[in-house]
Amino acid sequence: MQMFRSGLVGLLALLFTGVLQAGTPDDPLNSVMWDYTRKIFLGDADYRFEPRIKVEVPAFAEDPAQVPISIDASAFAGEIERIVVWADLNPIQHIFDYYPIKNANGRVSLRIKVQQSTAVRAAVLTKSGSWHIGYAQLEAAGGGCTTPSMGNADPYWQSHLGEVQARRFSNAEGEGSRLKLRVIHPMDTGLVDAIPEFYLQQLELRNGAGEVQIRMELSQPVSENPVISFDLDEDTTGYTLWLRDNGGNEFTRPL
Amino acid sequence: MKRITALLCLLVSLSASAASFDYGLKPVEVAENTWFIEGRTEDFSVENGGNIVNTAFIATGDGVLVLDTGVSRRYGEALLEAIQSVTDEPIRMVINTHQHPDHFLGNQAFQDVPIVSLAETQQQIRNHGDSFAENMYRLVGDWMRGTEVVVPTETLEPGVQQMGSHRLEWIRMSGHSGADLVLFDHSTGVLFPFDMVFYQRALTTPHTPGLQQWRDEIAQLRQYPFKLMLPGHGPMVSDQRALDQMDAYLVWLDKTLRDTAEQGLSMTEVMQLPIPSEFDSIALREVEFQRSVVHLFPAYEEAAFGR
Repeated sequence: MQMFRSGLVGLLALLFTGVLQAGTPDDPLNSVMWDYTRKIFLGDADYRFEPRIKVEVPAFAEDPAQVPISIDASAFAGEIERIVVWADLNPIQHIFDYYPIKNANGRVSLRIKVQQSTAVRAAVLTKSGSWHIGYAQLEAAGGGCTTPSMGNADPYWQSHLGEVQARRFSNAEGEGSRLKLRVIHPMDTGLVDAIPEFYLQQLELRNGAGEVQIRMELSQPVSENPVISFDLDEDTTGYTLWLRDNGGNEFTRPL
Repeated sequence: MKRITALLCLLVSLSASAASFDYGLKPVEVAENTWFIEGRTEDFSVENGGNIVNTAFIATGDGVLVLDTGVSRRYGEALLEAIQSVTDEPIRMVINTHQHPDHFLGNQAFQDVPIVSLAETQQQIRNHGDSFAENMYRLVGDWMRGTEVVVPTETLEPGVQQMGSHRLEWIRMSGHSGADLVLFDHSTGVLFPFDMVFYQRALTTPHTPGLQQWRDEIAQLRQYPFKLMLPGHGPMVSDQRALDQMDAYLVWLDKTLRDTAEQGLSMTEVMQLPIPSEFDSIALREVEFQRSVVHLFPAYEEAAFGR
């Protein structure tokens, strides 16, 4: 009788746990690499899949070395500690980390490389320590990570490395602004024979007082000559962009 | 009884598999000595075997002029059979109008005659032909079996040429793929713009030098006093409506890309924009618009940085 009762309590506890807490739910995309990659990026932490976090991808990757994606975690604006974005089936899964430290509302766009059709994840860590996973399936013919950069055949980048073009655009709703920038860099993955990895690793957007507003850590799957846009809550000027690549080259550019 | 059933099943499955790679090409005589083979206004698939392109031929009286050879060796062979089913004239010359794989990968069926293109097209096929063919294998599957790239063997210059009873004018354009051959047959009044004109099927932009260039050349095509126009994709027309549709779509595409770059939209946002209802009759417009954004938007974005 004692065993039966404790067994029943145990069963009820299990049922309630499933309903009320995050736990480790199954992947809606059924990716074979979900469990492996989430252990790399989330460790053993609980998480939940979150449809309010939008991962926008095209219907098909027309150019697997330049696939536009947009992450919109603005549903959690003000609450975001960091966003980790990765592609399950890329040979190098990590794409970027994004820290909206000040005045950034959690929307970021850029272009990426994919090696084959893959799940793309945007894992949002809130300030209260919980993980929320946005996701999308991206269809592709592939090869984006093992194709040489255009810069490999064209010496333009050698005299233009780290050059930045940027422009601020007012938000359609009239609040805040979008900052879009383009940096010249080959972003070589290291996966092409005889071409060593050479890519931007760190990015910081600093305000006029030198305070970091946005910090990003980039990996090789970010596309060559990356075009990145951030949505900001404010519409001010006087920003500076700081970048550093894996060769130790640093670039500081007023925007 | 069992043996007969088994034999019947075998026969049915054999005939099914033989029929499953049949392009079913049916040439239609649309003008004097002029035959048109219309493909589907679909995207490449294993179901259609890539038969999404129009080809044509003219039995000139001094040999058959073949205009494009289709998407695969099987298509080229089927095209040859179709030609031989309507005329006894030997093949005189094959034309590859431009570098895109649905127009030249049937060349293997015609290797005993000159395969002719613009010089730039010949170079482009030399450079890109193999990767185009690989892509086709992936899209269309076993229809492509045995297909190898045959680079055009001769080049031609724009100009007028008499072939049999047909006075042919070859025109060099570039708006679609950087090197696009257009034919106007003065004797029949048939204009063959090939992929300079898509009608009721969305145009493709992977190699366009620019939408304005394409628009300018569409305007040039209006000068030709054609009685019939055979586009590269889509049904034939006898008036300017296909040119009107091309122009309207090119204008909308150019304006959309310029305006959205000026507003700072990201590529995924541009791709999600609705396509105006005036283009409702154009097949595949959503998917081709998304592709065009990838091909063209970066240049518009760069121009917007400069302002």
